[in-house]
Amino acid sequence: MRFRARITSKSVLELFIQVSGTVTKLAKVCVLRVCPDRLCFCPTGLPGEARLWGEVKRGVFHHFCMEGVSEEFNEIYLELMSEHLARAVKNAGSASSLKLQLTNKLRPCLTVVVELPSCPGHTRAMVHDLPVKVLPRRWWKECTEPRVWASDVSVYLPSLKTLKNMVERMANVGDRVLVEANLNGKMNLSVETDVVTIKSYFKNLGNPPKAVTGATQGEDPENMVQVRVDNRKLLLFFEGQQINPTVALCNILSNTLLHLVLVHDGVSLQYFIPAS
Amino acid sequence: MLKCGMTGGQVKVFGKAIQTLSRVSDDLWLDPSEKGLALRSVNSCHSTYGYILFSSLFFQQYQWSPSATMNLNCKLAIKSILPIFRCLNYLERNVEKCKIVTRSDKCRVVIQFFCRHGIKRTHNVYFQDSQPLKILFEKSVCANILMIKPRLLSEAIALLTSNQEEITFSVTPGSFCLKSSNGESLDLSSSVYSEMSFGPEEFDFFQVGLDTEVTFCFRELKGILTFSEVMHAPISIYFDFPGKPVVLSIDDMLLEANFILATLADQPSRVSSPQSLCFSQVQRRSDPTQSNAQVGKSQASQTPESISRAAPKRLFPKEPLDSSSATETKRVSTNQDNISEVPESVVSDMEEGPGLSCLRKFSCMFFGAVSSEQQEHAGHPLDSLATASDSEEDASG
Repeated sequence: MRFRARITSKSVLELFIQVSGTVTKLAKVCVLRVCPDRLCFCPTGLPGEARLWGEVKRGVFHHFCMEGVSEEFNEIYLELMSEHLARAVKNAGSASSLKLQLTNKLRPCLTVVVELPSCPGHTRAMVHDLPVKVLPRRWWKECTEPRVWASDVSVYLPSLKTLKNMVERMANVGDRVLVEANLNGKMNLSVETDVVTIKSYFKNLGNPPKAVTGATQGEDPENMVQVRVDNRKLLLFFEGQQINPTVALCNILSNTLLHLVLVHDGVSLQYFIPAS
Repeated sequence: MLKCGMTGGQVKVFGKAIQTLSRVSDDLWLDPSEKGLALRSVNSCHSTYGYILFSSLFFQQYQWSPSATMNLNCKLAIKSILPIFRCLNYLERNVEKCKIVTRSDKCRVVIQFFCRHGIKRTHNVYFQDSQPLKILFEKSVCANILMIKPRLLSEAIALLTSNQEEITFSVTPGSFCLKSSNGESLDLSSSVYSEMSFGPEEFDFFQVGLDTEVTFCFRELKGILTFSEVMHAPISIYFDFPGKPVVLSIDDMLLEANFILATLADQPSRVSSPQSLCFSQVQRRSDPTQSNAQVGKSQASQTPESISRAAPKRLFPKEPLDSSSATETKRVSTNQDNISEVPESVVSDMEEGPGLSCLRKFSCMFFGAVSSEQQEHAGHPLDSLATASDSEEDASG
């Protein structure tokens, strides 16, 4: 079993830091799934059956090589504490490179090497050995990629910063926020209590191509599809996002599921929040 | 009686010093002398000792007239003095003059700020009559002496990840390595091990005589680095083998700050028996107060005996080996913090001659028992770094 990868691009590094930061906000334990073509973050134990799934494609790494458990099952599943990884990379924003390597130092470790420029001409390396558990194959089915259900509506998201501010304010008022959207590029966020209702209207957001959604032809595009979700979960997710992704959209399965997708340069993050 | 005056800018530095020492413990000694005003602090388990000396030239005006007792014996609660020196930037801008006057008859320190617009703020802080703990240490005899700009170390420390308690410095003649503690357990939640290396070229001064690794409390290091950055002075690190305290020192023309931190010893030391401690205290009390270095040394030499089970009654060690140092970090706080009751310390600024070195071969202010396993280290004369001229070792717990 071997795994060695290196990131030298500054933007990818920032995204990596962001993904690990989001993971640590939502779950204590994370499984890193090393596949031949990508690295996946699969945090486990999220409350209320929410799921988070992060992927970093092989192409964005400066260097990526892996050898799985066996030829037939060419993957490595590493379980570690999300916080360890997040902290190790947190201050690597100005690093010239970030290296990940599976090592065995008295016990299996994921060694993270952050290379920083020190005095001109020299670099200094900070090495962190994160304890990991290599998961045996029988546990692999716990960390499969979540299935994307055909959603009722799909819409591009407004600026994440705006969304975060809205949800933050709504969180002060009530526990759950209603998210609704339609095929005409409109999206509403609202929170309701006995005495007050607050609603935000977004329009002209645009919808992803129809092929993505399972919407049938005859449906009225003005029809709002809605789902009510816990706003704390939503807030934790938005808090971690510093950078505006290239693609940000949400899929709604009526009264069942809210699925947020953020994609940026080969790094993607998906968040599935069930209705509550 | 102490009377000193400072400008606003000097107040800022003075306040910073108090803030740094507040991290060490809840009490602070104000210890003026002809040389200047010293602030001293030691933590409850005696693993950290901070000492910042402001030379008389630091102040705008400085006057010290000793009364009947040689020392002021002023112990202040950090809680009472820290709030006075809050908002240092504000003080720097607004204070035109600050006067500190002590009244030993009334056990009071009067701090007055003469601010802009004719505003005058007066603080009366009561102090406890307590002999300051004075530590003598020979920095220059350490095998390893490093001097580095604090910013480099602070940046490195910011990258260390786990909520660790201890940090390790590991040196060889070719490199310096900063390490976090090693996780002991085999499960996932054990802490992350981190390390970062520096080359000798990054130091202002790099002398390594002994390949070694010393481990000490991380928390104190951060505070000291902050102070060093504020002073715009490099930080010097003096250390030897594990077990011997490490000294972190900031030397400016006008002030000198030293922090002595206990380090983890390689082997566990024997715990001192209560009986021998009592004995040693009784012994000491019967000695008259003195500022006599000679007697001070004999006093000091009693200490290793007192905490060794072997021979509590001898005054001087027969062989140097008996008083070899074996310091151990004890994290438990002591329940007999009788600092104020232990009779006088002796401060001697005189350099000891080699002949007396056998009496001072321990650095057991950081309490540990005398361990025979450390004998090989005791071979060098003057290898003790810190000597308590006041025997506080009952706090070994």
